[in-house]
Amino acid sequence: MNYIILLLGKIFSFLSKKLNLGHGSTWPGHIALKLNRNFVKDYFLNSKTKIIVICGTNGKTTTSKLIETILKENNKKVFLNSSGANLLNGIASSVILSSGLFKKTNYDFAIFEVDENSVPEVNKALTPDYLIALNLFRDQLDRYGEVDAIIQRWKESIKNLSKDTILILNADDPQVAYLSNNAKNKSLYFGLNEKNNNKISHGADSIYCPKCLNTLTYESVYFSHLGNWKCQNCGLEKPKTSITSLPYYPLAGEYNKYNFLAGVLFAKQENIKDEIIQKALNSFKPAFGRQEDLEFNGKKIKIFLSKNPTSFNESLATIKSLKAKNILIVLNDRIPDGLDVSWIWDTNLDYLKQIKNIHISGERTYDLAIRLRYENLRFKAHEDLNTALNYAIDNTKDNEVLFILPTYSAMLEVRKLIIGKKIS
Amino acid sequence: MTQNHKSLTIGWLYPTLMNVYGDIGNVKVLQKICEWRGIETKIINLNVGFDYKLLTTCNLLLMGGAQDRQQEIVAKDLFSKKENLKHLIENGIPGLYVCGAYQFLGNYYKKSDGQIIKGLGIFDLYTQNLENTRLIGNIIASSELFDKLIGFENHGGKTYLGKNIKPLGKVIKGFGNNGNDQTEGAIYKNSIGTYLHGPILPKNPKLADFLIQKALENKYKTKIELKKIDNQYEKEARLIIAKKLKVTI
Repeated sequence: MNYIILLLGKIFSFLSKKLNLGHGSTWPGHIALKLNRNFVKDYFLNSKTKIIVICGTNGKTTTSKLIETILKENNKKVFLNSSGANLLNGIASSVILSSGLFKKTNYDFAIFEVDENSVPEVNKALTPDYLIALNLFRDQLDRYGEVDAIIQRWKESIKNLSKDTILILNADDPQVAYLSNNAKNKSLYFGLNEKNNNKISHGADSIYCPKCLNTLTYESVYFSHLGNWKCQNCGLEKPKTSITSLPYYPLAGEYNKYNFLAGVLFAKQENIKDEIIQKALNSFKPAFGRQEDLEFNGKKIKIFLSKNPTSFNESLATIKSLKAKNILIVLNDRIPDGLDVSWIWDTNLDYLKQIKNIHISGERTYDLAIRLRYENLRFKAHEDLNTALNYAIDNTKDNEVLFILPTYSAMLEVRKLIIGKKIS
Repeated sequence: MTQNHKSLTIGWLYPTLMNVYGDIGNVKVLQKICEWRGIETKIINLNVGFDYKLLTTCNLLLMGGAQDRQQEIVAKDLFSKKENLKHLIENGIPGLYVCGAYQFLGNYYKKSDGQIIKGLGIFDLYTQNLENTRLIGNIIASSELFDKLIGFENHGGKTYLGKNIKPLGKVIKGFGNNGNDQTEGAIYKNSIGTYLHGPILPKNPKLADFLIQKALENKYKTKIELKKIDNQYEKEARLIIAKKLKVTI
């Protein structure tokens, strides 16, 4: 049965690419699952491929990319789902696209980044060897619902996991760290251990004790609700971490430290040599749109996908450390972006006060315009993205960089304008 | 007395807990449209455990929505100050109560498992969530006072109004209070309950002005006319949603 489905899937995928139908990364899997609900489960039955499931609001794609880079550096055969295809049908598609028709390809590892809502379904459909949980922030409330509801579903799903699944959890995110509570699985933690005097900022989500609901106290706050936390009421505190820093981080930003720590902790658990890990970190190239460097009209561009308040705030904090002088923000409201753009009010725009060359665009240009106007900022609003890009780049000096902060679908559009090719 | 010497105290109820849907935007808007008109504002954050006497110093109140867990914590605190809040609302202190806060001012909330959570009973309405489905999407409602109201709604509870309260608007596109009777929100004295976020005030300047005007009139006991301010971006942003929903505004 699965052989026929594989064949069909490959034909569909070929056709959709040839006819430019789009959805090539989800459609074959969708059909496969319609024909056999257990397609993914059956495929991995008796397979030696180790499965890594990665979940979290932000950082899934970068963490997957790092783990892929490390494993390949270690001469392992690896496949992964593409970042826009992180529901079960996307995973099924990646199985179809990466497997041979006549001979089963022997992959050592499969890396799947999984949409927040799909974690229970995916964990049911396959038995992960590793479950990596990065963080949980408010994001696309119209699609995902509120943070507490998601964490509840994750918890239920972890209860039903095989006890052999190793959990790799962010110790600094209270609710994520607490996922291991009552789980019989081996749990490893990553987290930062830096001293600072940051305060919890407006809109942080999980600042209450996951066990007793008391307000948590923080010795240090890294960003949003991530930090060295403790409950003064029941005594629950940040668990002991196996890794807190790396000598070198390939990408800037506090948020990326977590992604790299998670990936390296996995590699260490797999007993991969330090020198291999180091080599992988040195050769790491960002995934598209995640601090990706591009050029347009001979000038430099750096794209920071900014899709929710936390990722937007962290993008701004990072471009501040890079002394950004030119910025283009693009806000769309399609399904992958979230239909509700109210999150832009939960962002902290203080840094923009230091920037003179500010441009905004996207389908919700004017919502952004109102937001910026209420901070007394000076900016130019362009409904048309092409116009915005050209204006912004014309006003960027030769030796400077234009930083683009787009939502997901806006990022795909911007890349298409810059390199003339769209990644679906 | 000229407008330049006027000032308002705005009480923001539970900012650290009730802030899920960009509610801070409503506060920023009120602050700025006052600043641009030379009206001084003071924002008081009324978090869990606040001194009830602070309420009486407020000329305008705001309260947003939250997750269930947060709402439970708030409920405990606000019940102890119920009479104080009721007194202000009955005396015409304007307020904006969005989503969870709006439901909470009603008589009760009935959960899908039949459990009834008591409300403050200040607004004559009740809410139920029997099917466990959510009403989500862009919404446009017409209102005599505020023109077309435009926003985004995302709520599980369906609200039904009693005899002693009027709807804020009539739904043109979207769900509103319950998806059935075409009503959206509620207005009682100068207090407004609504499911619209987005947040609501940035895209509905008439409503924002109403709150400021009523707060000033209430404080200074005189008729107030607010200076006009430029609303070009607001108009454009409203048009985008109107076009999306194929509604003429």
